[in-house]
Amino acid sequence: MNIKSVTGDSGVRRWFYQRITGIFLVVLLIIHFTIMHFIGTGEIDYQTVAPRLASPYWKTFDLAFLIFALYHGMAGLWVVVDDYVHRDGWRVFIYSLVVLVGAVFLVLGVLTIITFTPHMLFTIPSKI
Amino acid sequence: MKVTFKIQRFNPENDTKPYFKEYTVETHSNAAVLDCLNDIRWHQDESLSFRRSCGHAICGSCAMNMNGKNGLACQTLIKDLKPGTVTVKPLPSFPIIKDLVVNLEKFYEKFNKITPYLINDGPVPQKERFQSPEQQKIIEESTTCILCASCTSSCPSFWADDDYLGPAALVKAFRYVFDTRDTAAEERLKVVNDKNGVFRCHTIFNCNEACPKDINITGHIAELKLALVTTKL
Repeated sequence: MNIKSVTGDSGVRRWFYQRITGIFLVVLLIIHFTIMHFIGTGEIDYQTVAPRLASPYWKTFDLAFLIFALYHGMAGLWVVVDDYVHRDGWRVFIYSLVVLVGAVFLVLGVLTIITFTPHMLFTIPSKI
Repeated sequence: MKVTFKIQRFNPENDTKPYFKEYTVETHSNAAVLDCLNDIRWHQDESLSFRRSCGHAICGSCAMNMNGKNGLACQTLIKDLKPGTVTVKPLPSFPIIKDLVVNLEKFYEKFNKITPYLINDGPVPQKERFQSPEQQKIIEESTTCILCASCTSSCPSFWADDDYLGPAALVKAFRYVFDTRDTAAEERLKVVNDKNGVFRCHTIFNCNEACPKDINITGHIAELKLALVTTKL
């Protein structure tokens, strides 16, 4: 049998990492929902979110969330393309789109999380 | 009791597309769908075509779609089906040759890809190749496959792309990969580790529901996936 995917891989790594990220996502989502919706004050505004996002621990948490969710979602899209797009040209095109969109969201997300500083906490709300 | 059958008919010589035809059969609740099909063919309409051989759920010839579920016509009793009209269709996603007879060429092609026979280059023993009961237990369930194609034909991944190996071939791959007497596990794992191989399975579990031998097909495929993660090929 010599049918190979366009990228030459069978999907074993993608399958495995999608399971792993899936497990992490369940844990992170439980923490997220507990903090944001169950034990919080109920008010989700800049004043409550900003101090949290200023902490390096929460930055790490959000980075992990971002990376796992992006990988999980994009791997899922990849598999859908595998199943339903049969022409190699289209497949390469959509794979490229998936990678591009993933990369753009990753950069945007990482920038937002890392560059957020406590300094903004005291300046921006006063302007609003 | 009288049971009405709505059977999908198609004759490539006269019809442009399949249509349904109704038949009423005098039967009893313990009769199998195959008995009723035989009754129709012998007493009402001899032009009805379907495959059947043993009638005892071991040859795998009479796999078809009854009331939307794949299975063996000889094993599916009237009392197991929902009361009312029984809709009988050929196995989905395979090309229809005539009425309930489908072309299984692609199915066997996939099956052959995983080299479904014992490969052992070692010296041939005087007697049989021994296996402990524990070793046999691993492959026991997968050896009961009768190759009826119910699972592959019920698999949405296979509907989406018929290049996918399909559950039946993968169960057979499992049967030889985990057989202690076989030495070609690596070659088979390489065949299964393909874009159209084991990772097209998205654990939909349709194959498990369709299997007339109650093989946990999705579970066996999952074992193959795990084997691929832990094996360096």
